Amino acid sequence: MKVKTPYRVAGLAAASCLALTACMSSGGDDASGADSDTITIGISLPLTGDFSEPGKGVQRGYEAWASWMNENGGLLGKDVELKILDDQSNADRVASDYEKLINQDGVNLVFGPFSTRLVVPAAQVAQDYGFLFVEPAGAAEEVFTQGFDNLFYAAPAVAQDHYNNLADAIEAMPDDERPETAAFAAMDDPFAMGTAYGLRDRLDEMGVEIVVDEVYPPNTTDFSSIAAKIADSNADMVVGGTQYQDAVNLIVALQQLDYQPQMAAFSTAPTNAEFAEAIGDKTEGILSPTGYTTQAEYPSNTEFVEYYTELNGTPPGEDEANAWTTGQVVAAAVEAVECADPDAECQSQLIDWLRENEVETVVGPLTWDAEGRPEGAHLIQQYVDGEIKIVLPQDTAEAELIVDKPNW
Amino acid sequence: MSLVFQSLVLGVLLGGLYALLAAGLTLYFGVMRVVMIAHSAFLILAAYLAWFFNRETGIDPLVSLLFTVPIFFVLGVTMQRTLLSRLRPATLTMMSVLLTFSVALVIEGMLGFVFSGTQRRIRLPYGGDSLELFGANIPVVKLIAFGMAAVSLLALYLILKKTPFGQALRATIQHPEAARLIGINTERIAGYGFGLGLATAAIGGTALSLDSTIYPSLHWHWIGPLMAIIVVGGLGSVPGAAIAALVLGLGQSLLQIPMGTTWAQTIFYVALFATLMVRPQGFFGGRLAQRF
Repeated sequence: MKVKTPYRVAGLAAASCLALTACMSSGGDDASGADSDTITIGISLPLTGDFSEPGKGVQRGYEAWASWMNENGGLLGKDVELKILDDQSNADRVASDYEKLINQDGVNLVFGPFSTRLVVPAAQVAQDYGFLFVEPAGAAEEVFTQGFDNLFYAAPAVAQDHYNNLADAIEAMPDDERPETAAFAAMDDPFAMGTAYGLRDRLDEMGVEIVVDEVYPPNTTDFSSIAAKIADSNADMVVGGTQYQDAVNLIVALQQLDYQPQMAAFSTAPTNAEFAEAIGDKTEGILSPTGYTTQAEYPSNTEFVEYYTELNGTPPGEDEANAWTTGQVVAAAVEAVECADPDAECQSQLIDWLRENEVETVVGPLTWDAEGRPEGAHLIQQYVDGEIKIVLPQDTAEAELIVDKPNW
Repeated sequence: MSLVFQSLVLGVLLGGLYALLAAGLTLYFGVMRVVMIAHSAFLILAAYLAWFFNRETGIDPLVSLLFTVPIFFVLGVTMQRTLLSRLRPATLTMMSVLLTFSVALVIEGMLGFVFSGTQRRIRLPYGGDSLELFGANIPVVKLIAFGMAAVSLLALYLILKKTPFGQALRATIQHPEAARLIGINTERIAGYGFGLGLATAAIGGTALSLDSTIYPSLHWHWIGPLMAIIVVGGLGSVPGAAIAALVLGLGQSLLQIPMGTTWAQTIFYVALFATLMVRPQGFFGGRLAQRF
């Protein structure tokens, strides 16, 4: 085979560059490795672009965690230093960011970025280098089916399991109280669909008839025709696999058509502070799963809410909490195996430890299956007397579940 | 059966809103051969102003029209005189896409900077109310938006047909050189025409804000369907755009029943392709559009 000279030169150049960076990176390891008195954690986050709002929330959570650690004796007695890069919500960028953090900057540990779309390429890089990869946001099923053995999702449940507590409660109802029909509308998005379909499949198994099952694209501006379908079916229960604006628009459209379900559940939106402002006094009885609440009485959570509120002036949200949880999970593993080195041996010890142990976090105790799925369920919140309160599971409930929703 | 009737009612209301939102877009093209990508960004800007007005004063957002309509008119005239009229006539249509695309980005960025990316919605006491008509519900806010569309489109039609300014504007649309020969200051008229288009965006944006959740990048979801409407209706024809908007709005609403939301949305693009293949000048464009 004849190869043109320019390509051969380019190939040679590329090969020598690779060799050089290999040398450089091993040099980097020595500089910031076990001997120095700080532990550097590499992170790439979407600080600009589509995911910049939640990305900044995760950043605030990570930074609060680092400063809390440093005020409380550090990690293995060393100071924690975060190195945060901006991936601009871009999946190519996030991979090269982690490549750079691990290879050139020689960080000791890495934390994950925000959202499924960025978690997958980032986890791949971490996997290639044998790094432990704990991530705060990547709940869709596709994160766990890529064959990663280094990944752990630092939240109570994957998307499909968000409604498990509600499904259990419905299953436990006497036959005459249980909804007979249910209508589903979900955004064409792996996370939003995941939440709704988890519940849909459970309801289907227990014999609830699914009368509407709509999927709409993320750019949908008019929800009145979906609402018309749901209203026409007159289902006992309506479930939205939603993000934010779609849930608000759909709920208002349903109200406009005077559809009165017995139960109404929507993902994400109802836990948002803007929600009550947008819907007004018609929120009573609306259900929503949530992975985090400042009210939860886990020991480290009280500490976290207090510290975070003092630092930032506002209480933490779910993104901040999941970032903090990521820190707690990694810290627990590091303290247990007493190492935080970038080398494969230490990282695989960290991974192995997390496989076998339970970690106490601000979102409750976490354990994972072999693919990194957390094995808990989300709390179910409901608007009761105008405020969003935990209603399920019963042992952490702040209010009684309203089974028959008042008219909206 | 009731679902079909309900969807029919909703489709007509939706079509009315589309007509209002698309009216300005077809006017710009008619007057100036300008493809105004920023039109939907101005719609969102007006919606944000209505929301801001309502939040600060607590007064009904419709009152904000008293300010936004004149402001948008002046903004339109200024934009035409200082930016668009500088483009070379030979490449005007193409370059206007680039120019107004950048204007859209500026508006989006500015909205995000001033009001943040948080999604907003005006909470109206009558937001969830509806009237009943033969078993179908007519949402009050959608009815108001439809009424605004009907009044504005009628006003626009009367301005174009009955006033001396309208005659001058139509003359500028039909034949700029001849209009200049009979003493019409076509440049000034074009500026006013552009201002008129942007004034409809102020009304359209306010109508939109009554019944939707707004955020800075929302305008990208609107510009595609609106462009399709004006092409189907015949570029430059306001009545054409109105009819196309009603037909497509109704079609989208009814097709949604058997096909689902995702496929129902494609009606805009199917109609666009079909128009370009069968009747490139649009279905109602008539003589004007045939020249392109």
